[in-house]
Amino acid sequence: MNKFIRVDMTSLKVTIGEVPEKYVSLGGRALTSNFVADEVKPTCHPLGRNNKLIFAPGLLSGTSAPNSGRISVGAKSPLTGTIKESNSGGSFSQKMARMGIKALVIEGMPKDDKFYVLKIDMNGVSIDEAPAEILGGTGNYEAIKVLNAKYGDKVGIALAGPAGEYRLPTANISFKDPEGNIRSAGRGGLGAVMGSKKVKAIVLDDTGAGSVPIADPEKFKAASKVFAKALLDHPVSGQSLAAYGTDVLINILNEAGGLPANNFTAGRIEHNDNISGETLNATISERRGDGKVSHGCHPGCVIRCSQWYPDKQGKYITSGFEYETIWGLGANAAIKDLDDIAYIDRAMDDVGVDSIETAVAVATAMDGGLLPWGDGKAVLDAVKQIAVPTPLGRIIGGGTAVVGKVCGLYRTPVVKDQGIPAYDPRPIKGIGLTYATTPMGADHTAGYCISGNILKVGANMDPLKKDGQIEYARAMQIGTAAVDSTGMCLFVYFGIADNPEGYQALIDMINAQYGWSLTASDVDELGKSVLKVERAFNKAAGFTNAHDRLPEFFEYEPCPPHNVVWDFTPDEIDEVFNF
Amino acid sequence: MAEKEKKTIEIRGFLHLDKYLRKKFGTIPLIHKIEEAIKGAELAKILEIPLEEIEVIFVNGFVQALDHIIHPGDRVAFLPPGCPGPYRIALGFYGKNQNNEANFKIKRNTDYALDEI
Repeated sequence: MNKFIRVDMTSLKVTIGEVPEKYVSLGGRALTSNFVADEVKPTCHPLGRNNKLIFAPGLLSGTSAPNSGRISVGAKSPLTGTIKESNSGGSFSQKMARMGIKALVIEGMPKDDKFYVLKIDMNGVSIDEAPAEILGGTGNYEAIKVLNAKYGDKVGIALAGPAGEYRLPTANISFKDPEGNIRSAGRGGLGAVMGSKKVKAIVLDDTGAGSVPIADPEKFKAASKVFAKALLDHPVSGQSLAAYGTDVLINILNEAGGLPANNFTAGRIEHNDNISGETLNATISERRGDGKVSHGCHPGCVIRCSQWYPDKQGKYITSGFEYETIWGLGANAAIKDLDDIAYIDRAMDDVGVDSIETAVAVATAMDGGLLPWGDGKAVLDAVKQIAVPTPLGRIIGGGTAVVGKVCGLYRTPVVKDQGIPAYDPRPIKGIGLTYATTPMGADHTAGYCISGNILKVGANMDPLKKDGQIEYARAMQIGTAAVDSTGMCLFVYFGIADNPEGYQALIDMINAQYGWSLTASDVDELGKSVLKVERAFNKAAGFTNAHDRLPEFFEYEPCPPHNVVWDFTPDEIDEVFNF
Repeated sequence: MAEKEKKTIEIRGFLHLDKYLRKKFGTIPLIHKIEEAIKGAELAKILEIPLEEIEVIFVNGFVQALDHIIHPGDRVAFLPPGCPGPYRIALGFYGKNQNNEANFKIKRNTDYALDEI
C-alpha cells in the first residue's frame, strides 16, 4: 500500500502522494489516530474546515488473512469532541488495500452547497456532483442501488446517509457489504464530518487492482492456516457466534443482572425470551425465506456472526442484527417485539445513524416523556423522522446527551457525551472503567482484546468487586488498540485469548506480509502508543481526568437484582491510564 | 406458599441448552423440585445434560463452578462453552472454570452439531 490520497474539498483538488515515512508501518486505528493527532487542530470545531476525515485499511487488509477486512475511519468527533476511530466491515477496506491505498484523507470544505461523490479507481480520483436522487433524505438502501447502477454493481461504497447530510452527531458512515446491504462505522458521528465536507459518497472501483504484496508468501500461508484454525476450533468464534450472533449475550447478561433495562434503572428483564439470540436463531430458522442464521460481513470472514433477519413472509428486513441494538431497543427501551426492533434497525441503517447511540437516546427520550415506553411503532416513526428532518428527528439524531438535556434529566447515560452501551457498569465494574477512561467516550469495543497476562488477573475477578478491575480495563484497552490497527475484527479475540498459537499466528502473518520481526511485546507497545497519542489529542482539546467519570447517578441509584452502585474513586479510575 | 417455593429451583439453559431443555421439559424456566441442596454437576446429571456441554453455571445471578451447591429457592442457569466477549473475564468465568472437569475447552472437532445431545 503505497498511495496516500488527499482530497481537498475547498479547492476540489486531489493529491496522490507517497506514504509519509512516519505512517509506513501503521494501519487501521494506529494510522488514523496518529494522523488526526498530527494534522487536526485539537480545538477545532468537528464540523468546521479544520477537521479532517481519514479512511485507512488495517495492516492485514486485502490479504487472505481471515477476518482482516475492517476499515478504520478517524477524525475529531462531533458527538464527543474527542479523537475518534470507528471501524466497519464491508468490502471497502479490502478494495482500498488491493488498490494500494494506504489512506484516503478528506479535508477542507466547499464554499458552495453542493454534495459530491468521490470516485476512486486505478486511474485516480474524480469528484462528481452527487446525483439528485440520492440527496435530500433518500435512504441508504436506495442510494446504494442508484450508485450501483451508475458505477457498477461491484464497486465499494461509503455513504453519509440523511443524518450525515444534516450533520447530526449520531450520523454514521455506512458501507456497502458484499450483498449490497449495509455495515456501519457507527460510533462518534463521523458521518456528520463527511456531510460537513459535502461528500455524500465515496465509490471504489478496484477493477485492474492486483493482489497485496506479501514478503514471504509461504510463511504467510502457514500462519494464516494456523490462525483460521484457532478461530474455527474455538467454541465462541467457531460455533456460538455463527449460530446465535452477538445477541447470544441477551440471556447471559440478563442472568448476570448486568443487562441495562428501562434507561439503566434495572439490570434484568422478564421478557428476555422475546429478544434473545436463541429466539433470533429459532425465528430465522422457522421463517426461512431470505433468512440466514449466519452471514459474513466481509469476504474472508470465517466467524460469520451476522445474519439476515426476515419478516413473517420470509422477506429480508435487516442484517448485522447486533446484541447492542437489540438490547438498546428491547431491554433499555422495553420494546418487546423482535420484529419491531428489526424494522427500527433497518430504519437506522437507512437514515445512517449509529444504532447504539440512537437506541440509548430513544430510551432516554422515553424516560423523559418524549416517547412512550416500549412503543416500537412510535420509535420507528421517530427514527424515520430523522430523514426529514423534523424537530423530533433532530432531537433523537442529536444523541443521548442532547435528549437528556432537552428532557431535563439527570439520568443520562453518557461518558464524554457518548451513550453507554449494553453492559451495566455497576454489576460489571471492569467495563465501567473502560467506559470512563477510553479516549473514545463510552465504548465497550474499546476494551475488547487481551494483552499481557490478563487471563491470570481474570482468574481472580469478581464482577462486583474492585480487585483486578483496573488491570483488566488497562490491558483490554491496550490489546484492543493494537488489534484495531491490524484490520482484524475484534472477535478474533477468542482465537487469540484462549489459544497462544492463534496469537502468535496473528503476529506471524504481519511479519510475513511486511518482512518485519515483531514480537508480542512490540504489539503491546503499539497498543500503548496508540492510546497515548489519542489521550494527548484529547488533553490538547481540553479534556482532563475529570472527564473520565461515569454519570453521577450510577453512584447513588443501585442496580437490581444485585443492588450495587458504582464506587470507584477518581484516584482509582485515573490509575487505568497509569502506564 | 413460602414452603412450596423453598422446595423448587428455577432452571434455564442458554445457547443450544435452551432448545434442549424446552424440548425435553416443555418450558423455560423449568421449575424443578428438590428436597435438599444439590451440586450443580448432580443437577446436570438429573437433567441429562452432558458435563462437557457446561462451562459454568449461574446461581442467583453469579457465575459459579459446577461443584457449587444449589439450594431450594435458587435461580440456576446452565451455560455451555460459547459466551463471547471480554465479559467472560469480567463476569468471572476464568475463576470458575479452570479446575472443573467440565472446563471450557477449545474443541478440536469443528463438526460439532447443535442437536448432538
